[in-house]
Amino acid sequence: MIEVTNVWKRFAAPVLRDVTLRVPQGCLYGLIGPGAAGKSVLLKCLAGLLRPERGSVRIFGQAIESLDEVSLQAVRNRVGMLFQNNALFDHLTVAENIAFPLRRRGITDEAEIAARVADRLRAVSLPGFEQRLPGGLSGGQKKRVGVARATVTRADVVLYDEPAAGLDPVTSQKIFDLLRREQQEAGATVVMVSSDIDRLLTVTDRVGMMLDGALIFDGTTAEAQGSLHPVVKQFVHGEVDGPL
Amino acid sequence: MERLEGPLEAAARTVLADARELQGVFLRALYWTARGRREPGEVARQCYEVGYRSAFFLSVTMGFIGMILVFQSGLQLLRVVPDLSQLGATFLELLVRDLGPTISAMMLATRVGAGIAAEIGSMVVTEQVDALRMCGVDPVDHLVVPRFIASMIMTVVLVMFSGLVSFAAGGATAWFVFDVQPLTYANFSLLDRGDLITGLAKCFAYGAAIPIVSGWCGLTTRGGSEGVGSATTSAVVNSSLAVIMLDLVISGVGFVVFV
Repeated sequence: MIEVTNVWKRFAAPVLRDVTLRVPQGCLYGLIGPGAAGKSVLLKCLAGLLRPERGSVRIFGQAIESLDEVSLQAVRNRVGMLFQNNALFDHLTVAENIAFPLRRRGITDEAEIAARVADRLRAVSLPGFEQRLPGGLSGGQKKRVGVARATVTRADVVLYDEPAAGLDPVTSQKIFDLLRREQQEAGATVVMVSSDIDRLLTVTDRVGMMLDGALIFDGTTAEAQGSLHPVVKQFVHGEVDGPL
Repeated sequence: MERLEGPLEAAARTVLADARELQGVFLRALYWTARGRREPGEVARQCYEVGYRSAFFLSVTMGFIGMILVFQSGLQLLRVVPDLSQLGATFLELLVRDLGPTISAMMLATRVGAGIAAEIGSMVVTEQVDALRMCGVDPVDHLVVPRFIASMIMTVVLVMFSGLVSFAAGGATAWFVFDVQPLTYANFSLLDRGDLITGLAKCFAYGAAIPIVSGWCGLTTRGGSEGVGSATTSAVVNSSLAVIMLDLVISGVGFVVFV
């Protein structure tokens, strides 16, 4: 479903170094690592928002690094994404934000749009918030609206960048449970970046760990928890002493 | 052995890359203007933003410029010939052919260009532009094209309106300072087809250039609020430069074709 092969990307300095990764269909894949390890950049490469300088990113069997913007749109129509800063459109209401991807995919039946928006708002426990503007929402509410927008098109692949950043522990766990439930119901392939390791590992099937732009671990959640790799072990178990 | 790149070569490479990106934004804007779906009322909203909200600022500026130019021209003319009967006609030709569109466009570049770059730049740094792309929307179509269409329409309207204010303010100055009667001042004899076509061409060109250049500056914003600040400054500087360059080109073409 998602195949990343020998991907390199640099801005001022290299941010992705020879990353190779395979995410099977229907898998919930957690991407972990310390700050500035390249997790969000890799996620944006998967979405086609950034192009790698070298290597290949294949989604649905299609190499997306060489596609032009118009061809990329066809791929992106099957991909949903939650951004680290939520990226809600300030001038649109909650309902309009959630409906936006539907309208842009050519759905014009207002009754269907309203039903799907209401369904998503129920799923994220925000019924009645349709007419609110993003500026009037708390961090957790914005995050949930972002989740509703990312999943409203029933995309085959959903990418989540820090879905629980800045949330309290209870709301964080609720968000992770919601994302897991959504993924199981839709059968989507999910890649999730999160610094909240304890909660992330309760929902993932597989885990990859990045350090300084390189993927240093790729395995099942159980393998990550039992890994003897000093960096992975220290990071997964939150130990103070170690190479990090 | 790898050749080291000199500072001039690096600067040239950057300018070329920027020019390619700018051309890309322009071509995509043209494509989406012809092919895109507009959200109902979006162009009208932008017309209000670009036109109505700039009208007072532009009229006041152009009014003062009209007064200053007529006053200074009158003083200079009186030193050479004691006849001001052609003062209004000369000023009108200059206003229609060059000053009206160019000075108005420079003013619009500061007000409208800065606004476009700041709005789009803020959307870039908060990942809203990436979110648009993930929703299957070309940011140029959604953010630049409505402003592009509105700016082309409203620049023509604003230049006509503020030009009228400038001419009237100049007329009042001529009357009160030099005792030139309004009927003598309102002399259209020097105005010809070439002046009107050149002036109109400049209005459309400037109206197109300001949102394209400012939109490009906004879309290439990097970093946080500091990046938005730099994008805004770049938008004003580059839009003004674009206006001056287009002025030179269109004036040159106008001179060759109509003189």
